[in-house]
Amino acid sequence: MKKKLLIIPPLLFLLILLTFFYLLIIERNPSEIPSNLLDKSVPNFETESLLKKERFISSKEFGKEIMLVNFFATWCLPCRDEHIYIKRFSDEKGIRVIGINYKDNPKKATQWLKDMGNPYSNVPIDKYGKIAIDWGVYGIPETFIISSEGIIKYRHVGSVTKKIYKKINLLIKEIE
Amino acid sequence: MAPSLGNFALWLSLFFAISQFFISKNNNLKLIKISVNGLIISSLISFFLLMYSHVVSDFSVLNVFQNSHTTKPLLYKISGIWGNHEGSMLLWILVLTIFNYFIFKLYNKKNSTFISKTLETQAFITTGFILFTILTSNPFERMFPTQENGLGFNPILQDPALAIHPPLLYIGYVGFSAAFSISIATLSLENSEKIPWHIYMKPFVLAAWTFLSIGIALGSVWAYYELGWGGWWFWDPVENASFMPWLLGTALLHSLIIVEKRRSLQAWVLLLSILAFLLSVVGTFLVRSGILTSIHTFALDPSRGVYILAFTALLGGYSLILFGTKSKKYFDNNYFTFFSKEGSILINNILMVVVCATVFLGTVYPLLIEAFTNNKISVGEPYYNSTVIPIMIPAILVMGIGPILGWGKENKSKIIKKILPSILLTTILTIFIFLIYQSYSIVGIAGIILAFWIISNNLIILIKKNKNYSIGMIVAHLGVGLLILGITGSSVWQEEKITRMKIDSETKIEKYNIVFEKINEIRGTNYVALQGNFLIYDEKKNIIAKLKPENRFYPITNNFTTEASIHTNLFRDLYIVLGEGNLNDGWVVRIYYNPLVIWIWIGALVIFLGGITSININLKKLKILSQ
Repeated sequence: MKKKLLIIPPLLFLLILLTFFYLLIIERNPSEIPSNLLDKSVPNFETESLLKKERFISSKEFGKEIMLVNFFATWCLPCRDEHIYIKRFSDEKGIRVIGINYKDNPKKATQWLKDMGNPYSNVPIDKYGKIAIDWGVYGIPETFIISSEGIIKYRHVGSVTKKIYKKINLLIKEIE
Repeated sequence: MAPSLGNFALWLSLFFAISQFFISKNNNLKLIKISVNGLIISSLISFFLLMYSHVVSDFSVLNVFQNSHTTKPLLYKISGIWGNHEGSMLLWILVLTIFNYFIFKLYNKKNSTFISKTLETQAFITTGFILFTILTSNPFERMFPTQENGLGFNPILQDPALAIHPPLLYIGYVGFSAAFSISIATLSLENSEKIPWHIYMKPFVLAAWTFLSIGIALGSVWAYYELGWGGWWFWDPVENASFMPWLLGTALLHSLIIVEKRRSLQAWVLLLSILAFLLSVVGTFLVRSGILTSIHTFALDPSRGVYILAFTALLGGYSLILFGTKSKKYFDNNYFTFFSKEGSILINNILMVVVCATVFLGTVYPLLIEAFTNNKISVGEPYYNSTVIPIMIPAILVMGIGPILGWGKENKSKIIKKILPSILLTTILTIFIFLIYQSYSIVGIAGIILAFWIISNNLIILIKKNKNYSIGMIVAHLGVGLLILGITGSSVWQEEKITRMKIDSETKIEKYNIVFEKINEIRGTNYVALQGNFLIYDEKKNIIAKLKPENRFYPITNNFTTEASIHTNLFRDLYIVLGEGNLNDGWVVRIYYNPLVIWIWIGALVIFLGGITSININLKKLKILSQ
């Protein structure tokens, strides 16, 4: 056995550990599956709006400025948790947020927005979850960043926390 | 009171572990004895005090609050200790100290330096894990104010097989730590080639391998009965984490025989015993750091990950560099003939290591890809099926021939005479099986023939009471044959049917008619459930079983679980899972026809018995040696 070969096991071992270390310290969510819709235009859809009389037509809404799309429902507890951050996007940062009301009772949703404050510029209703399917949503809340060209730039699964709030703000600046 | 004492005992065991590390250098028997005994007693105390806190539901302890509830059955209050990260670390430490104690038992005048050195390494490992527990995951952490009741225990873990699965698995993982320490001692001491280190190592490897085998099998039992997915192995990263040390353990066990009989492969054995333990620790890291997702992952906490990683780097870096610099005198240039016992063991060794590397690659590949390219991929069953199975088939073939070959050169015509009876038996059994199942695929035929080949070989040796063979080995090999029979049958001939059924409707799978009779609401100790009643009719319209799969709801943890209901006989399992539904639309029902599954469990049990027998025999050898 050549002596030099014996250096391979420790080197290989340390290389693998270094990779693990790198993955540990970077910010990542191992259960997150990247969206197929990333860098593609938003799916087209048309539906009723919770707050306005005219129907919500996606092609008319998107593609003018950077926007957020947030899937929410009154029955979803994490949505309640992230509500203050969604509000901060619209109140403090002046970003338009579309809140898609997912499989919900419209009356409850209206009341909910009255009680908690309404951060959304428009609330299309996704009564049967069909719009969510087009967006590839697999569990609400989910939040998407849409560029001014109407392209999906980022997707976050789960509620928006302080960390994610900052991250989304940074991303928005980058996209601008 | 109890939790504070437990915490104190944990700190005490840290003290004893550190002192053992320093005392072992001086080789002072009296002091070593005190620290070894102190270590095992203090960790026993801290373990039982945590158990006490769980049993009496002391919710001032965070660990109890997070994982227990007053309504939980006693068995699961106890198994709840190792059903969570912090408590399981305490069990891990306890097993480490028990093995530490057994190593100390080997101590005598002739080998005192060697055993001291081994104890030093073992103390280092133990210190590392105790420190990890105290710093990042102390199970005795308190919470104020004390809560009325706990959060409950993940109901999916409330299963008898899972209650004993972790302890057995840990005996396996930790057993390799003893082999690791012995290997380090052998490499670092100057004149250890005169010491029969392989005889010391073998019972530990055997124990580790035997308990790892049964531990993995029980994990499979749990997955099969509790998860309700119809299968028993899913190539989940955590399953792989236990499978990899098992593969290396298998190679190690067999190589040790060659060291014993031929004084060859010593360097190889030393390396394998280092790698087997390192893989166990890396496996722990993968599970505990949250670096990947799997049904097993514990709570995410990067600081834990960084600690285990640093510790692994230290252990691995040190041991592998030590191996690189000191192993020279253990290399030999012996060549083996292909047709001999040592030849077949060597081939088996290579194949086991290749399978292990393949599984390792599949497990870490998604992580490597993500680190270097930022893409996410997942590696699943198709990869493992198309890589592992083709390598395993020749390994099994060799396993069928190896034991009957002699050491050194073998006369080929004699072999044929030897194996004639088992060829006959194999042919008969194979024809019999195919008459029953009447399904032919290449993998199926190969698997069944190989299984019967191994079974009949070992059965014939067992019946003849041939004294040339170790009985433990023959029994364990017989178990592997049965295991392969079960694995082949259940994976090649499985049938699955997913359908929506209303009350009184019926469906057919294989030759069985299944009638959905009624659905009941039932109430358990800490759950409520919907229970479906299914009547199973055979071809002659006789009722052969009544299956009652359940859909359970645990209000405390707000969880749903499915309880599959299974009718088992020696030829097949009928497996029914109740899905979602209501009275008007009916329920989604999944029905599986799983041939020969029971032989997997029987096989694993036989392997375990064979292993235990072998441990006994080897302990006797040790006794003779120390006299």
